Amino acid sequence: MRWFITIRYLLSHKRQSLVCIAGVTISVTMFIAMTAMMNGFTDKFIIETVESSGHITIKDEPRETRTPILERAYPDPNALLALSNVKPRDTVRKIDNPTGLLLKLQHMPGILAAAPEVFGDVIATYGTKTINLNIHGIEPERQVKVTTIANDMLEGGLQRLGTTADGIVIGKGVADALGARMDDSIILAGATGGRTSARVVGIFRTGVTPVDYSRGYMLLSRSQTLLGKKNIVNEIVCRTDDYERAREYATQIEGICGYRTESWQESNANFLKIFDIQTLITYIITGALLVVAAFGVLNILIMAVLERVNDIAILRSFGLSRWDIGVIYTLQGFVIGLVGATVGLGLGKLAVEGLRRIPVTLEGLVRSEGLLMSEHASQYYLAFFSAIIVVLFASAYPAWRAARYDPVEVIRGAH
Amino acid sequence: MAHIECPLSAAASPILRAKNVHRVLGSGDLANPVLRDVSVEIRRDEYVSIVGASGSGKSTLLYLLGGLDRPSRTDAAGAPIDPPSQVFIDGQDTNLLDDAALARLRNEKIGFVFQFHYLLKEFTAQENVCLPMLKLGRLPRPEAMARAADLLARFGLSGKTKRRANRLSGGEQQRVAVARALANEPAVLLADEPTGNLDRRNSDLVADLFRELAANGQAIVMVTHDLSLASRAARMITMDDGRITADHPTAGVALPVAPATIPHHDGPGRGELPDDRDLRSDAHPFHSRRA
Repeated sequence: MRWFITIRYLLSHKRQSLVCIAGVTISVTMFIAMTAMMNGFTDKFIIETVESSGHITIKDEPRETRTPILERAYPDPNALLALSNVKPRDTVRKIDNPTGLLLKLQHMPGILAAAPEVFGDVIATYGTKTINLNIHGIEPERQVKVTTIANDMLEGGLQRLGTTADGIVIGKGVADALGARMDDSIILAGATGGRTSARVVGIFRTGVTPVDYSRGYMLLSRSQTLLGKKNIVNEIVCRTDDYERAREYATQIEGICGYRTESWQESNANFLKIFDIQTLITYIITGALLVVAAFGVLNILIMAVLERVNDIAILRSFGLSRWDIGVIYTLQGFVIGLVGATVGLGLGKLAVEGLRRIPVTLEGLVRSEGLLMSEHASQYYLAFFSAIIVVLFASAYPAWRAARYDPVEVIRGAH
Repeated sequence: MAHIECPLSAAASPILRAKNVHRVLGSGDLANPVLRDVSVEIRRDEYVSIVGASGSGKSTLLYLLGGLDRPSRTDAAGAPIDPPSQVFIDGQDTNLLDDAALARLRNEKIGFVFQFHYLLKEFTAQENVCLPMLKLGRLPRPEAMARAADLLARFGLSGKTKRRANRLSGGEQQRVAVARALANEPAVLLADEPTGNLDRRNSDLVADLFRELAANGQAIVMVTHDLSLASRAARMITMDDGRITADHPTAGVALPVAPATIPHHDGPGRGELPDDRDLRSDAHPFHSRRA
């Protein structure tokens, strides 16, 4: 009987009901489409970053920076310390005994592969063009096991580093900036005076813009010479069996070797923070849409209550309790929420599929063909249930007001 | 209070009983005692009319008897009323029932007919009659709908069962309202100025309907200010200023008349003089209390 009355009330005010439902539908659709888009970019960035830069990076520095010995001796901040002309000790940053560490890593559970790297900045010149190039010295056969760089090659290949003594593999952005093509020779000048020419034997595109526009790969030994870092290894990059667990593996490795060991999450904390903020903004915007829709429901239900005060008195006179009356108005909100959210799920799915098909090429932090949509079942559940719950909240007040009417006062003409 | 009837007979116990009922509307300076220590009993086969001037408390008494309103616990000055007001519906003390239980009792035992506020406008005549049965839940929906159609046919509305309530004439609406009040075969039909908003012809129609129902043993309590209508009832209760001033069988009716079982309140008081409220228009008795 409550359902019968509820449905009849909704149907007899079709236009108001449809406006309410449309409000809920729009907010659910927007929520699904926007979160799918945001998640798409986040996921793409994570995958590209993780796969092209490695899961874990062991750095050539300790976690804590050393405090000056005098400050350690007198930790009291009020102690009067006067030092002038302090110069840091002239140490070369490197990982001690990288071969031993690589052997240890091989036997660690969860670590699939590890590769040593040396890196440093050089000036690359080709013809009249000059740019900064971040040289990574690698061992190609190890490197392909820790990153997916081999899959990102547009031309040439990483293995050609092994066959061409002076070979270099550069990012697509670097190649474009220099105007260099395959088999062109570019001049590299290191900060410590090293100078060499290198032949382009491969061009890659990871999709991560900062990498594609600044990175070059050379053989480890040649890079060490060019950068003036003989026999030095700056980084060891590791690949794990599950990149979601990179944090805990990184902590274990740090405990073994003592060097600062960063998981990909830590290395990209700034970007991940941006994504978090982006996600938050998406939630706020779509949440605001939902709140607006809920106010619409509130408004229309209050009007419906005021319009049907006589009905409330009649229903009470033939045996409905206050509770029954409250339920009838809550159910109206529930039906609006349910129908709106269900239609919203369908339209949201359609919107996701439609956006996926828009032919655009985006080049920002990551490069992608078409909009990236990443759907999670949880987003659909969240949109559906939050819409219903918010609309139920909005119908609580009208329902309470409807239940509060005293039938005798209504019949006497007080309302 | 002594009952004359045989105590073993279920029919002998009153269907409605008000005992020392007080009702104060409003509070503080605006407190207005509408009923003052009213006691009355309605038997299961009686046709009773309650008459009185506007503001005499007759409608309030009707709502209290039907469990739509509750008696006051304190008087106009805020002091507790002793002995406490009690209303019994079919022997059940309504003071002991919560809102839901009282609603169930109304649904099962009481049929209300009002002057205005006839029907739910967005439902058909048949659905209006059907709703109390659906609430009671004894009949499945198809049977309830069938019974609703039968009731409407009995009141000459067989052609209008599927018509929306707001597309019926006033007389038709009131007949549908009576049909709805009878839907759950209530123990008593309570009518508040059932003809007050109808023309002569429709008034007569409703009056005839009530007499026919009463002849078939349906208990009816009808509030009216129309003395000719009131005189068709077997028993007439007269109220003035919140008290019962007369309660006696009407002359020349065929129905058996129960002897009055409660003392009359015909002592001295303001009841003898026309109250200033009595001089006001009686066209809208519902609104008079708001003044």
